[in-house]
Amino acid sequence: MLEIATVFDFTHDAVIFVVGVTAVLASLGVILCSSPIYSALYLIGHMICLALLFLLYNAEFLAVVQIIVYAGAVMILFLFIIALLGGKKEIQENSLHRSMAFAFVFTLLGELYLSATVGPTKQVQGEIPAEMFGSAKAIGLELFSKHIVAFELASCLLLVAAVGVICLAKFSFAPLRRRVR
Amino acid sequence: MDWITEILNVTWNFIVLFLNENIPLVVGSVKAVIIAVAIMSVVPALVWLERRLMGRFQVRLGPNRVGPFGLGQPMADTVKLLFKESIIQSSADKFLFHLAPAVVVITAIAAFAVIPFGEPFEVFGQTIEMWGANVNSGILFVFAISGMGIYGMVLAGLSSNNKYSLMGGLRSSAQMISYELTLGLSALSIILLTGSLSLVDMVRAQETYPFILVQPLAFLLFFIAGIAETNRAPFDLPEAEQELVAGFHTEYTGMKFAMFFMGEYINMVTMSALVTLLFLGGWNAYGLPVWPIVSFAVKVFFLLCVFIWLRSTFPRIRYDRLMTFGWKILLPLCLLNLMVTSTVKVIWFP
Repeated sequence: MLEIATVFDFTHDAVIFVVGVTAVLASLGVILCSSPIYSALYLIGHMICLALLFLLYNAEFLAVVQIIVYAGAVMILFLFIIALLGGKKEIQENSLHRSMAFAFVFTLLGELYLSATVGPTKQVQGEIPAEMFGSAKAIGLELFSKHIVAFELASCLLLVAAVGVICLAKFSFAPLRRRVR
Repeated sequence: MDWITEILNVTWNFIVLFLNENIPLVVGSVKAVIIAVAIMSVVPALVWLERRLMGRFQVRLGPNRVGPFGLGQPMADTVKLLFKESIIQSSADKFLFHLAPAVVVITAIAAFAVIPFGEPFEVFGQTIEMWGANVNSGILFVFAISGMGIYGMVLAGLSSNNKYSLMGGLRSSAQMISYELTLGLSALSIILLTGSLSLVDMVRAQETYPFILVQPLAFLLFFIAGIAETNRAPFDLPEAEQELVAGFHTEYTGMKFAMFFMGEYINMVTMSALVTLLFLGGWNAYGLPVWPIVSFAVKVFFLLCVFIWLRSTFPRIRYDRLMTFGWKILLPLCLLNLMVTSTVKVIWFP
């Protein structure tokens, strides 16, 4: 007879395993796919899987933010650009790209093997109480007290980058004269 | 034949143990099925309501031939749509073409999972809550999932291989990204008032008065942005018939065509439910002797009628004005409202 606890753990572990494997397969799809639209779709799938993993480890807020920011906002812009440029299927010119992709994958796998053998991962030590874990409050308290300087600097950097991109991409055009209404 | 019964026995025992140990899973599945079926059967009723009300608003009768009050009309329409031939043009991307309507419907139903519609009650020693899932960040979950719904329209536009569809898809994504900002920022003032992201906590914070009394501007902004998010008239630019044939669903036929409208109507219900929860006090009846769920349903029904009323009242906005309206009027107003709310909260109610 199976222990009750193992059955529950089995469900949890099985879900985590399935989601993890799907994430890896989706990330393989991103680099192995020849059509940009499908690559973008695989990337979206990968990000959703990551969000599910966050959710399975009780980090609800991070999961939702992952979906809103990456799967929602960033990837929709990717699709936007693919739609505007016309996502043509790439023709396989030579096998160089393919071999490079495989080399990249095997490097990643080797790294995974290394990190698995070097030593068992340590549990993260923190002072956040269990009932607050993963909530927006915990992240907010941490972000706006300990890491406030780094946070503000990062937001400044993003603002500078956005302004810089607009300056670089600006092209001279005469605005159409508005019709008198 | 002993070994067969043995195996069956072991399997049965395992299933019983599994179910016993995963009661939340079972309850959750049942709730998921109930919510999904209920929300999908609301759609034909809503189509009927819209056609009847539109008829009255335009001083005509509306559907009244099939059954009493034309109630058989949605069923006849559904049967017609199910039996229509499904045409896919040869230049379309088949997989994405089939995927797009599914994405629209799935995200619309999934977003409804965290909408609470009443206080929890007890049955057989189990507390049954009147919501699919009480996610800690419920409102963010709704925004995240409804944001994923944009992909359905963009993919439909991309895969159809038709310039009108592509324009419709691009328009819908640009419009929804722009108005999502307003939606989130006006909801943020309610989050500031309650100090929680959970929809249940928000309703419980409105037990004495609904938040529309203290946040009328946020209510207005949220409702306008909500109409734009659901692609309803006067913001139905993605499917503007006069300029884009039918926008992103130009090439769709039969049930796949109907699925886009299913998504739209479910989103309408979700948006009305969100407005009810955030601003109209959810299931609180404020002294009236009705069940919580009835109070909730009446408010949602009223908002749905307002949605239909707006559609038959306003003409469609021009595309550039839609964008200007979103970015230059709604967004600054939202930020202003947020600033005033947070200042008042910090100074007078610390």
